[in-house]
Amino acid sequence: MNAGLKLAGLCAITLFVGACASARRSEPITGKSLENSAGLSEGRRVFIQQCHTCHPGGEAGLGPALNNKPLPRSLIKFQVRHGLGAMPAFKEDQISSAELDALTAYLVALRRSD
Amino acid sequence: MNLTVDLFASSHPGVRFFTVAALVVGLVFSAGCYAIHPSKGAGQTTFKGPRKMNAADVALPNGYVIEVVASGLTFPTGITFDAAGTPVVVEAGYSYGEVFTEPRLLSIGPNGTTRLIARGNNDGPWTGVTFYNGSYYVAAGDVRGSGKILRIGENGQKSTVVDDLPSRGDHHTNGPVIGPDGWLYFAQGTATNSGVVGLDNAEFGWLSRTRYPEFHDIPGRDIVLAGVNFKTLNPLTDDSEDTVVTGAYLPFGTPSRPGQVIKGRVKSGGSVLRVRPEGGEPELVAWGFRNPFGLAFSNNGKLFVTENGFDDRGSRPVWGAPDSLWEVERGAWYGWPDFVGGEPITKDPFRPPGKPALEFLLAEHPGKPPKPKAIFAVHSSANGFDFSRSEAFGRVGDGFVALFGDQAPTVGKVMAAVGCRVVRVDRDTGAIEDFAVNRGPVAGPASRIGGGGLERPVAARFSLDGSALYIVDFGVLLQSKEGSKPQAGTGAIWRVTRKEGHR
Repeated sequence: MNAGLKLAGLCAITLFVGACASARRSEPITGKSLENSAGLSEGRRVFIQQCHTCHPGGEAGLGPALNNKPLPRSLIKFQVRHGLGAMPAFKEDQISSAELDALTAYLVALRRSD
Repeated sequence: MNLTVDLFASSHPGVRFFTVAALVVGLVFSAGCYAIHPSKGAGQTTFKGPRKMNAADVALPNGYVIEVVASGLTFPTGITFDAAGTPVVVEAGYSYGEVFTEPRLLSIGPNGTTRLIARGNNDGPWTGVTFYNGSYYVAAGDVRGSGKILRIGENGQKSTVVDDLPSRGDHHTNGPVIGPDGWLYFAQGTATNSGVVGLDNAEFGWLSRTRYPEFHDIPGRDIVLAGVNFKTLNPLTDDSEDTVVTGAYLPFGTPSRPGQVIKGRVKSGGSVLRVRPEGGEPELVAWGFRNPFGLAFSNNGKLFVTENGFDDRGSRPVWGAPDSLWEVERGAWYGWPDFVGGEPITKDPFRPPGKPALEFLLAEHPGKPPKPKAIFAVHSSANGFDFSRSEAFGRVGDGFVALFGDQAPTVGKVMAAVGCRVVRVDRDTGAIEDFAVNRGPVAGPASRIGGGGLERPVAARFSLDGSALYIVDFGVLLQSKEGSKPQAGTGAIWRVTRKEGHR
């Protein structure tokens, strides 16, 4: 249990520190672009269609930043499916399972592209 | 900082439980606290002039360079080029915040010098300009009169091409642009946020301008109302407890009834229109927009417009509504006031947190709205734009759109500054990528994040040869619950070109 508490604390600290890091990942800022990255085009399409308006480029906007939240893929998917706070839930008819896999891969790649 | 380990990989149930618990708590803390999170909008800051200008504070994709062309302008909103390719800009002469100055048409010379071509007659805001066959065509909003399209000769002589446009409200007369068919295309924004005159319109200023308290939205075609009404306080009387009931497309304090028909007219709000440059009767091209601000023809001759989406304000607030880029189809209805980017406004994502779902205002919809070609960030204020047409600049066919930036908290709450940049819209996919943004750990106008970069890009247009993108920067606009405070003399023009060796 001690090990669990320590890891939980580490996770909380990681989230807190991550939330303080810059979320900026666009090409003018980083000099890199995922626009033509192999294997990410579908996830990028879903992101632009469903996420970009509230989290532009993964930065904060109407909603919070995504790029500085070190969430595991499973929790990203959980939040997309169930929503949280003001964020709506996205059901299968809006984002299919395959699209959610692709979206999650894109979000992780975007986060790492700093 | 990246966490690449799968934190759910542990087989120990205690570890997994507390890991999940900590992540959920962290998520709720960082993402689920919208209701208690203070708004951090682009204009929610302070400013003490003079404005700093430093091109090095603006980031661009590799191979491009930006420079300042002119500064010290007051509320510039549009740009065109004369026959010699000299940039010519309009200063609006009016800004949100009920600040009235003098509308001006200015030629920009070397080293940022300006030469006055014409001045307005208390008829701001002048929101855009185009040059065609030796004349300038200016959209003159005239919020204290009625909207117009003016023709201005190179000697400054003015005449009116179109007048009597419904421009006294929240949104004004926009454009214009010349089409490949030789017609002059322009747009007219709606009077209100979402079809109902309310207290937000008093806060904007126009409802309290005692000359026109009866002003309201006007549709492009006849419509049938559902009879939805809204009760509010009445700011037009001295009785602080006086209330009124207001229906859609009707004056403040006038209720609607189910089945009521509102007559449409060509000179309507939320519409794209066209007229012969020499004058004559305008024609309705399309309607059902909210505030169609930017107009441009693509390289294959298709008309596109940017639309400022709904705000979270007034009697009928709408939440989470993005701005849109539309391809304009002749005769089509684009959905306002009952659709958001082609989606029904009754859907849950558009319901403001803690408030009931929205109802349709129209009993019958004039058609099925098209789908937008691209959607921009909520409250980003997608405005003037142009399509690249030269390999000298690159990205031929892509759209370059000026995002003015949010006006939170007036338009609703945001968790960070939105917009205040120029984005590129992929011609094929509608994907949006940053093109010109301020450097720094967070985004926002220079007045908020520091440095000498962009403030409020309001228009973007390519030079005659297509090799340079000119960005019109409105300048500093402060925003608070009390409204807008634009800063005169802080507007600027920027120019982006491609470096030699990258072409």
